[in-house]
Amino acid sequence: MAVIENNPMALPVGESANRASNPLGVFARPRAVTGLKDWLTTVDHKKIGIMYGSAAMFFLLIGGAAALALRIQLATPNSSFLSADAYNQAFTMHGTVMVFLVVMPIGAAFANYLLPLQVGARDVAFPRINAFSFWVFLFGGLMLNTSWFLGGGANGGWFNYAPNNGIIYSPSHGIDFWNVGLLIAGIGSLTGAVNLITTVLNMRAPGMTLMRMPVFVWMTLVTQFLLLFAIPVLTVAQILLLMDRNFGASFFAVDLGADPLLWQHLFWIFGHPEVYLMILPAFGIVSEVIPTFARKPIFGYPFMVFSGVAIGFMGWGVWAHHMFVSGLGPLSVSAFSFATMFIAVPTGVKVLNWLATLWGGKLTLNTAMLFAIGLVTQFTIGGISGVSHAIAPSDTQQTDTYYIVAHFHYVLFGGALFGFISGLYFWWPKAFGYKLNEGHGKFNFWAMVLGFNLTFGPMHILGLQGMPRRMHTYDDAMGFNLWNFVASIGSFILAIGTLWVLVNAFISYRAWKAEGRPDVGPDPWDGRTLEWAIQSPAPEHNFDVTPQVTALDDFWHQKYNEVEHGKLKRVATGAELAQPGNGEGVHLPAPSYWPIFLSASMPVIGYGVIFSLWLLVPGLLMMTAGLFGWALEPADDLDIDDHGHGHDADDHELVGAH
Amino acid sequence: MTDTATPSDTGLDVEDLDAAAADAAADLDAPTANNAGDHGADEHDDHATSLGLSNMKLAMWLFLGSECLLFGALISTYLLSKTRFLTELVAGNPNVIEGLMGEEAVEALPDGTRGSIENVGEIFQEMAAEASVEPIFDIPFTSFSSFVLLMSSLAMVLAHKATEEGDYKNQRIWLAATATMGSIFIGGQIAEFTIFFREGLTFGGSLFGSAFYTLTGFHGVHVTGGIVMLMALLILSFRGKLNSDRAETVELVGLYWHFVDVVWVLIFTIVYLIP
Amino acid sequence: MHNLRPTPMMKRSLAIAALGLFLSACADDKPLNTFEDRGPRAKQLNDLMYPWIWGIMALVFVLVVFGGIALTIKNRVAPEDFDPDDLPEQVHGNPKLEWGWTAVPAVILAVISIPTIITIWSLEETNDERNADSTTLCDGPLDVMVIGQQWWWEYRYDTNCNGFFEDVNGDGVVDDTDKEWPLEIALDDDDLVVANQLVIPTGEQVDLIITSRDVIHSYWIPRLNGKRDAVPGRIHTWNIEADAPGEYNGWCTEYCGLSHARMRMSAVALTPAEFQDWLAEQTAPADIPNEEADHLAWEGRQLFQNNCASCHVVTEDENDPDDVAFDYGQDFEASLAARAAPNLTHFASRTVFAGAIFSQYRGVDADDDDLFTKLGLTDDDPANDIPYTELGESGLQLNEVQLRRWISNAPSMKAMDPDNLLGMPAFPQLTEEDLEALVAYLETLD
Repeated sequence: MAVIENNPMALPVGESANRASNPLGVFARPRAVTGLKDWLTTVDHKKIGIMYGSAAMFFLLIGGAAALALRIQLATPNSSFLSADAYNQAFTMHGTVMVFLVVMPIGAAFANYLLPLQVGARDVAFPRINAFSFWVFLFGGLMLNTSWFLGGGANGGWFNYAPNNGIIYSPSHGIDFWNVGLLIAGIGSLTGAVNLITTVLNMRAPGMTLMRMPVFVWMTLVTQFLLLFAIPVLTVAQILLLMDRNFGASFFAVDLGADPLLWQHLFWIFGHPEVYLMILPAFGIVSEVIPTFARKPIFGYPFMVFSGVAIGFMGWGVWAHHMFVSGLGPLSVSAFSFATMFIAVPTGVKVLNWLATLWGGKLTLNTAMLFAIGLVTQFTIGGISGVSHAIAPSDTQQTDTYYIVAHFHYVLFGGALFGFISGLYFWWPKAFGYKLNEGHGKFNFWAMVLGFNLTFGPMHILGLQGMPRRMHTYDDAMGFNLWNFVASIGSFILAIGTLWVLVNAFISYRAWKAEGRPDVGPDPWDGRTLEWAIQSPAPEHNFDVTPQVTALDDFWHQKYNEVEHGKLKRVATGAELAQPGNGEGVHLPAPSYWPIFLSASMPVIGYGVIFSLWLLVPGLLMMTAGLFGWALEPADDLDIDDHGHGHDADDHELVGAH
Repeated sequence: MTDTATPSDTGLDVEDLDAAAADAAADLDAPTANNAGDHGADEHDDHATSLGLSNMKLAMWLFLGSECLLFGALISTYLLSKTRFLTELVAGNPNVIEGLMGEEAVEALPDGTRGSIENVGEIFQEMAAEASVEPIFDIPFTSFSSFVLLMSSLAMVLAHKATEEGDYKNQRIWLAATATMGSIFIGGQIAEFTIFFREGLTFGGSLFGSAFYTLTGFHGVHVTGGIVMLMALLILSFRGKLNSDRAETVELVGLYWHFVDVVWVLIFTIVYLIP
Repeated sequence: MHNLRPTPMMKRSLAIAALGLFLSACADDKPLNTFEDRGPRAKQLNDLMYPWIWGIMALVFVLVVFGGIALTIKNRVAPEDFDPDDLPEQVHGNPKLEWGWTAVPAVILAVISIPTIITIWSLEETNDERNADSTTLCDGPLDVMVIGQQWWWEYRYDTNCNGFFEDVNGDGVVDDTDKEWPLEIALDDDDLVVANQLVIPTGEQVDLIITSRDVIHSYWIPRLNGKRDAVPGRIHTWNIEADAPGEYNGWCTEYCGLSHARMRMSAVALTPAEFQDWLAEQTAPADIPNEEADHLAWEGRQLFQNNCASCHVVTEDENDPDDVAFDYGQDFEASLAARAAPNLTHFASRTVFAGAIFSQYRGVDADDDDLFTKLGLTDDDPANDIPYTELGESGLQLNEVQLRRWISNAPSMKAMDPDNLLGMPAFPQLTEEDLEALVAYLETLD
């Protein structure tokens, strides 16, 4: 194989083996397979996926705390729990953190963990870049949140409209952190998108044609394409803002003739695909969970796939429905109103196909399934209210009121987050080797459903009664008291429900440990896709042998034979069919220091842009060093034998032979 | 087996912010053996990727697709800003005039007109009508540097061809030629920026200045990144490591280089040629 | 309580305040409710949605959500009862059905889009097209310029009938070339300028010409129409219409920085005749208090000139060029500070102040349901019947406490950032006596 020659600047294989004689020993690959160092240097897509998830959970606590502060403030009229400034920071950071640092990375977590498993690959196409994507997202997110301690968070709203985001109207550094932090995190999203698309398109197991890919893979593919094309538009908007705020440009200087709507157009050309790329991975998840627990294939697989693709395409043509009252003129408003209504069609197809999958099924109502059905019902409510503001005249009454807040929380919390939690319960045994407790899971679900509807249901009423968004307070006489109070009570129930995911993980782990860590088996749910054909937790090398795929839901068809039309008979259990997890002869990508090192240079540069350009010197030096280290790093460290899996002689020979 | 068959680890890991150095390394940081899918037990597999296109090349195409949106948004911003700028200039917005020509320009007005919006408007309306912002461009000069940049694409093709044929002498000549022509373009851009700045087109003084410098500057950074990549290829070539089965590396740099050229054709047309 | 001199202006504002109090005391407990339309435009929006579209939405909601729940309950199987050899029938799909539920919603939505698009265009109709016979102002229906700023609204009436915009370049026509920041077209400074409270005639569509002086705001009186953004550098048109006299409230609905929640609107609808009276009174210059007869107010005027007049305008002489409204100058920072505050010429005739967040007058007993009756107000003619002698007992008085506090330390009552030129600064140097004098002066500005 020509692989080694393929990396011309890298040191020859084996040169790194003897550090004493190797002047460039620093470029050797790290060796740890456990412990902190392993997590910091790993390039394993499963570990990176888990880190994405953990980081998102951490940010969820921050965003959730901000949300609770908002709800305490709004529980009573004229409350003084938060000052106007603190409230503005809290709602801005709540939105920003939840969108960019919670929902998007949870999607990335599932995508990272599952895509290679579901397409039958050993890892993603570019494992080191995968690690880089994660670290750069994490550092961007952390940098954004350091603004809390460095002069206050951003206060311009997550949409951050110009010219209020300019240095004149927002003189604090909050918006600089928002801008630079998200620019950095965006780099991670972009590299992640390139990586995951390449993985799905190019690294499918033999026989895994596009129309045999699980729906989750399809939805993630669409998501990553949306990211690939949406992130650069946000990047441009943010660069214009960066130039304005930090380098004296005048893109949004109204006195020089600038049009503030430029920001809105750029932001929403990014922002609307963004909405779909948050929800589509969750659609993918429930499209795996529902068939598994209904014991039926997904109803209308091609429609599920193409409706997802259609949503992806249509998502680019509807951005101006965020701007119906911005003064676009009746022609644009009519066109975008018309286009927006039709995005309900593919979404409706998905919902009806899920219901049709439930139809005639034998449903196992465990927590994962409950959350999946939760998504179907709660998301539908958000989808229906969406139609009422696709109708632009009606939207002139609804936009920027709590009706919209209700709408997108039903879509993003009741939709995306419910889907993600469903996926968490579903794939937890695959990732960690034990199931989450069902009793606590049910409590988790019902607390969340109750709290969620108590919190966001009343907001429909509040919005239609005229309560605008982003208000730090309201008056007694406005008639908003009752439902605001109810929503605030609900938010605490919801917070407890959401926290119960973590509580359940802890309780379940303790119980599992106390029982002597019993093996949950490779296929605890009688699953349908390839990830259930390997042991739990998934071995580091994924598949002992690259699977050969012959059908959609291939693993299911191995377990069940069709005896007559539509009737199945079990011929084998998942445990019998699963690969034993023997990594003999499998050669894996070695860990690397450079992804985290290179990523760490980004916030240094970011702080430099905000505070002092002198910081760019160490930042750029770090980046250059990181890039060279990355490039010069030996292709692999073949002489590590204690890597948890061996390398057979063939592999060495193979390399040498070419 | 060719390297196209090998999934690989590339360095398309950076967005344009850190463009230059990163883009260069993007290519250097070529594939490693640590790819995931095709090792070990499945040697029987013929290592073909699902699309038959190498991972690196697919990734490069995806990255360039993303770049299209980046430049698309920047060009749209430029067009909008320029239109708004010209409208305000023709209307005699004194802020625009001051931003473009400095306080002195406003103060150099005849007595009695200064501070009087009506008259300032009138005077500059005439000025704007006679000489809109375009004459600041030196079209022949920029046409020359654009021509050089376009020719560099040809050199890039020849460098790739030489690499495939194992003709290392020509490979080095054409790589060096490509890099040199790119550098001439960048030199031209630096000269142009300096002249414009001295003529009073500041970065922040007008919408036009902001949009012009940002758009062309972004493109310049991309070209610079390409030059660094070419230099790295040249070094590899002299170290004897850029042989014919590494032709894909040259091809990838070539893809990027051609993309940057095509973008320049667009920018040149939109910024310089369309009045 | 200072001596309230009875003037028609004050009577009218008191009447309005009383009406507001009356409404908030009983029927009007949701003043922003979008369903309670009080004008044809808002009604148009509700008619579009109700009953058909809301009905379809409710139907889909019931079918999908409750259908899904019913399906779940019906098809559930306890895990221990599940037999892996007795699987449900493996249905992979039904293309006809799926095309059906692709097409049917598409058709429904296409049908919905027809009235939607008709309404979108209808909402853009100007008052000229709809009120052909109206001669409210300048021989035509009323247009009002609405200018948003952090964090209050200014309204301009084209009382000199030469349009809202100045012929900046002197070419004889007001057109696109008459541009000046921050508006696309320069404002005419000679028009009537009022702040915080919009006054409109009933029964007539009023066109709003909306723009902003700083960041993006959004103008919204939910009972009269939907909202439209006020974007600096752009001019947007919108319209409202009220069926009956009364006060209609609204909130700024585009996030506009620190005190976004304290940027509210109050629109008062008067009968056409009342509106003409109001217009005549508003265009008159402010009274200058007599040094002898009203010494306190006279002192207040001196204080006002020394402390407030650099930002607030009180027009005492129509011909004084300095007495015009804020001049939209060229210097951005100066424009934030200088003369950009609410015009106070007829301050006491308004019922709200400070961005329409405080009532200028308050009832001693706001819960008194009989207030309306007591004052003898009727819908037809709310102003004329106020018996001044009853004012004291009727329970309406100047909201002096909040007004004084506002003058001395406004940022403590509404979040503002005067250090960065955003909003009104505090005046710690003003003594209690000073405040009393200032309030006395402001009371005379009716």
